[in-house]
Amino acid sequence: MSSTLPNSPLTTYVLNTGDGAPGARMALSLHRLDSLLVIWNLVTVGTTDEDGRCPGLITTKAFTPGMYKMRFETGQYWESLGQNSFYPYVEIVFTITNPNERFHLPLLLSRFSYSTYRGS
Amino acid sequence: MTLKSARMSTSRLQHIKDHLLDEYTCAEMAAPYSPLTTHVLNTGMGVPGAHMALSLHRMDPSTSLWNLLTTGTTNDDGRCPGLITRETFTPAVYKMRFETGQYWGSLGETSFYPYVEIVFTITDHSQKFHVPLLCSRFSYTTYRGS
Repeated sequence: MSSTLPNSPLTTYVLNTGDGAPGARMALSLHRLDSLLVIWNLVTVGTTDEDGRCPGLITTKAFTPGMYKMRFETGQYWESLGQNSFYPYVEIVFTITNPNERFHLPLLLSRFSYSTYRGS
Repeated sequence: MTLKSARMSTSRLQHIKDHLLDEYTCAEMAAPYSPLTTHVLNTGMGVPGAHMALSLHRMDPSTSLWNLLTTGTTNDDGRCPGLITRETFTPAVYKMRFETGQYWGSLGETSFYPYVEIVFTITDHSQKFHVPLLCSRFSYTTYRGS
């Protein structure tokens, strides 16, 4: 993933609500469902920065209508902090019908709970 | 495209179901209290998430494949008793899948999430685990309760 890409129409933000800090250096990946083969194609891999964000997830051109999945390696993240967690990973599957809008997909996470919402 | 994908996912699920042994529906289980419970709340409308289809799966560690354990539908209170028996609830990685897209569709609405899958690890199977889903059309939350 390149930070020289213009603003991605899809953004994320990971917040560690257990510690009240950004979810920094968490591995994540974006996938798009191939509706013919019904398999997931990997679009991007990345890691959140110190602020819990991951710029350059996808280009406007690649952001076609379809079903997408963001996968967050939450188990690895908590392990790197020396803790265990109820969720080995979090996958959020969402549908994009109008790719001209901006979509913000945050993950608010503790060891024993998580939340997400559709932002912009 | 969404509806087609949802239909294909559902038919794949049915295909897998047809090949399984020992699969239960929540209603078939005359089991005493399940050590794993759920509760679906429709936070968008302030009501229980009633009549939502869901399924419980366990990961087979040797093949990394998901085995379907139970299918069910939440009752009027958004709950689904009899998800699993204590004997079957072995330490493992589990997945609860909630058919949220179908649910919102039955209310005549669209939703951002075609389904929700919550994957969790059970190490101490003598405890009780509550895996609720609080959902609206554009957000959801879950937590580990007891």
